[in-house]
Amino acid sequence: MSDLYQRLLDDPTDFHNAVYCDGFKLTRAQIDTVQLEGVRKRFGELRPQIAMLDKLATEQSVAAIDTINDIVPVLFPHTFYKSYPLSYLEKSRFDKLTRWLNGLTTVDLSGVDASGVELIDDWLDLLDRETPLLVSHTSGTTGKLSFIPRTKAQWRQTVLHSGHMLRHWWGENSGPDLLNEHYPLIIPGYRYGGSATQRANDFMIELFAGSEDNALFMYPNARFSADVVSLAGRLRTAEARGEQGMLEIAPALLNRRQELSELEKRRPQDLQNFFDTARTKFAGKNVYIAGVWTLLYDWAEAGLKEGHAGIFGKDSVLFSGGGKKGKALPDNYREQIKEFLGFDNAYEMYAISEQMGWSIMCEHGHYHIPPVIVPFLLDPVTGNPLPREDGVTGRLALLDLMPQSYWAGLITGDEVTWGGWQEPCPCGRIGTYLHDQIRRYSDKEGGDDRIVCAGAPEAHDQALAFLTELSM
Amino acid sequence: MSNKQYNVPLIIRGQIITDPDFEFGGRRGGVTFHTPDVAKHIGQLTLSAPSKMADLYSLSLDEILDFLADLGQRLRFDSNAHLREAFSLSCVTSGLSESILRYQYENIPFFFSRDEMAMMVERSCGANYLEGWVAQPGGMPGVSARVRAFGSRAVHVIAGNAPIVSILTVIRNAFTRSDCIIKTPSNDPLTATALARTMIDMAPEHPLVKHLSVAYWKGGDTTVERAIYDPRKIEKIIAWGGFDSVKHVTQYLQPGIDLITQDPKLSSTIIGKEAFADDTTLRSVATRLALDVGAQNQEGCVNARVIYVESGTDAAGIERANKLGSLTFDALQKLPPHLSTPHKAFDMNLKSEIDGARMNDDEYRVFGGRTNEGAIIVSQDDAPVDFSRQLGCRVGNIVPLDDLQNAIRSVNAYTQTIGIFPETLKEKLRDQLAFQGAQRLVSLGGAATVQHNMEKQDAIEPVRRMVKWVTEEYADGALFEAIAEANPDIKAVGM
Repeated sequence: MSDLYQRLLDDPTDFHNAVYCDGFKLTRAQIDTVQLEGVRKRFGELRPQIAMLDKLATEQSVAAIDTINDIVPVLFPHTFYKSYPLSYLEKSRFDKLTRWLNGLTTVDLSGVDASGVELIDDWLDLLDRETPLLVSHTSGTTGKLSFIPRTKAQWRQTVLHSGHMLRHWWGENSGPDLLNEHYPLIIPGYRYGGSATQRANDFMIELFAGSEDNALFMYPNARFSADVVSLAGRLRTAEARGEQGMLEIAPALLNRRQELSELEKRRPQDLQNFFDTARTKFAGKNVYIAGVWTLLYDWAEAGLKEGHAGIFGKDSVLFSGGGKKGKALPDNYREQIKEFLGFDNAYEMYAISEQMGWSIMCEHGHYHIPPVIVPFLLDPVTGNPLPREDGVTGRLALLDLMPQSYWAGLITGDEVTWGGWQEPCPCGRIGTYLHDQIRRYSDKEGGDDRIVCAGAPEAHDQALAFLTELSM
Repeated sequence: MSNKQYNVPLIIRGQIITDPDFEFGGRRGGVTFHTPDVAKHIGQLTLSAPSKMADLYSLSLDEILDFLADLGQRLRFDSNAHLREAFSLSCVTSGLSESILRYQYENIPFFFSRDEMAMMVERSCGANYLEGWVAQPGGMPGVSARVRAFGSRAVHVIAGNAPIVSILTVIRNAFTRSDCIIKTPSNDPLTATALARTMIDMAPEHPLVKHLSVAYWKGGDTTVERAIYDPRKIEKIIAWGGFDSVKHVTQYLQPGIDLITQDPKLSSTIIGKEAFADDTTLRSVATRLALDVGAQNQEGCVNARVIYVESGTDAAGIERANKLGSLTFDALQKLPPHLSTPHKAFDMNLKSEIDGARMNDDEYRVFGGRTNEGAIIVSQDDAPVDFSRQLGCRVGNIVPLDDLQNAIRSVNAYTQTIGIFPETLKEKLRDQLAFQGAQRLVSLGGAATVQHNMEKQDAIEPVRRMVKWVTEEYADGALFEAIAEANPDIKAVGM
């Protein structure tokens, strides 16, 4: 523990291998120093290698970092990792998309020839084969996917980090050591694909499950297709652009709509089969389950009705996040899930997919930001940094110091209130935390009964709405 | 930040209710306003029996227009306290700057000029139809018909981006002899109220006052809406803008309720190659384009957003488009403050998108967009920016094209106005644009500053739909006897 401070000063990425709880035992002053030094180090190293960061820094006249807020002008708006025109995807200009991504990473992509590529999935495969990167994508509702250029080596570190977190979050050796004592994985999603969840799958199977047959996926053979995810949003945008927009969507892709409708129709049955298999195959064992609360509740409710309870071993772990997605759950949903699953060791996280680290919720309902992620609150109107004082509310921005192949400083769309600057959390962990009332600025603005005549209704493609949930 | 509190009274047929039952936050500036609980007064809000419309028919159309003209005289911004309060709240809640709002409030009396209102009547229903029964030409032999336009009982869910919406609603309700409940939006809860209060000050017992109510409730409030949107109580709903507000309304639709929507729309521009004839022409085009983008701070559906330009897409063509972008941005900055200013609450999501575009100089040239001054983004290829539907706060996107057919195909039913240069191009394209869905074609520069004909909006005639067209038919009894007896000497056609 005693050497963690020095290790983080030397290289913040080293936190991925640390005893996780030690990160919250540094003093406030040590955290501030680790963060200021880390920002200087990362900015100094990455600026010359990442064209877009350099350009933004030049535009904003950011040179030396004297105080932590000096970095704020070069935090990326969430638009930066999707700042390519959608026409690159529509017209299969993956050569241009590669050149664009090259401006966002330290990895040299100039030798990659993507000129003949037609689909996003094929482009991701090409980058997997020919570069050190394992590019992940988001599942944005607009059809425009963000592409995050993280290396394979750092994906491995991300999963190792997750293992250390599970083992040490509630205190040193408080949880199972999955890296050495493998658990079956139960994941209600796709085995393959390019979104962050699936990018971690290979490493989770190797490091947590030990072998492929010790992992259960809802779609064990299928790929979560980036082209299909993007199609949903593109259809909406295209329809709003009139005939011209529709002309620009490849007919081959339009045909995949039907596939999706089929998939959606089968989904309740697929879920049922998946959960039945999970129960019968792994009952009584300690397992690792990932999933959103809503899905887990549906499973628990149905299972309890059929008389099943206490299915898994009491040392199992549950990794969850994603909020409640607007669904109403009963007040005792956690109790019901616990009763059904047979354990209550839940890790609830706040994270953004561009980053390697995350913030886990403590017993007081606070998400604790690890020392290698530098938090900022910005004024939602001016974008200026707000005081680093307990109880302040604003737009959250986070700079993760662990990633080394891209700039992981991002402004989120979330309104949060923070604490831990003057008074630490009653749980005893030191450092900044977020209160659990987190909401999207876009939700806030949409529900205010302000009526204007300008706008264009979106063509809602209900058949595709469920894709977002599947990407978790 | 203003912490001033406003009272938004509930006005029911001349009665002003001010109980501060609820508090609402306006969208911008931290202002709050108090309103009475509409549910408590719901019984009085709707007109209990259609027969109570009769008092409106004791007035002639001339008397109605006289009343409105008189009202216009009292709507002077310098002396009307109700309007000044509405203005002061709008300065906080509206997307328009104080200088633009002031100009609009000062202009209110213009809309109440008697001549202008008389022409409004002619362009919509025609005075003769509002005043009496008008004989109809043709029809079956032996049968004649007369038609008269009657007022209806309506709820108007109005938009708040400019005071004109409240003004038109009050005038149209009066001259169609209708009974209206105006549901105000949170971004302008007081302008319609100010008009109603001025009417009450004038003549509290006047029939036009007795058929005007103004209420704020939160859109989607089922207690209120379920009680009001009932075919026994109202016949029409006129909903302006706001996708959500229209969605709320649709759940109450059933036979007996006619929904008239002025849907949310976006507008665009088509500029032909003639713009690049010489520098003087290009400057003129840029100035006119700046007006279409920037007037009323691009808060309206009529404002230009995506601008298709027949500049060509080769290097020289892109340079031409960039030149137009640069000149347009300069012209935008020079617009007079009563028409356009830097936006006081620039959309931060849009700002993020502009920042992203600026980083990608292979694809976009961005003029401006540093803070709240507005921007012209020139695509360096023939596609609009992906965030084109978010454009606002004086941000336009110039899209260079080789062939204007791309622009024409991009028009759809959400396209309201298209500003076109030159005039010959407008004539050449107008039929084709109409097929695609465009609703108003104007000379470049005329999208957002002048409007000839509000009676034909979004390609519908809202006033003609607000009234009930009642037919009275006549035929001689002998005709019916002949039909009943199948008399071969008298032929009844068409049945």
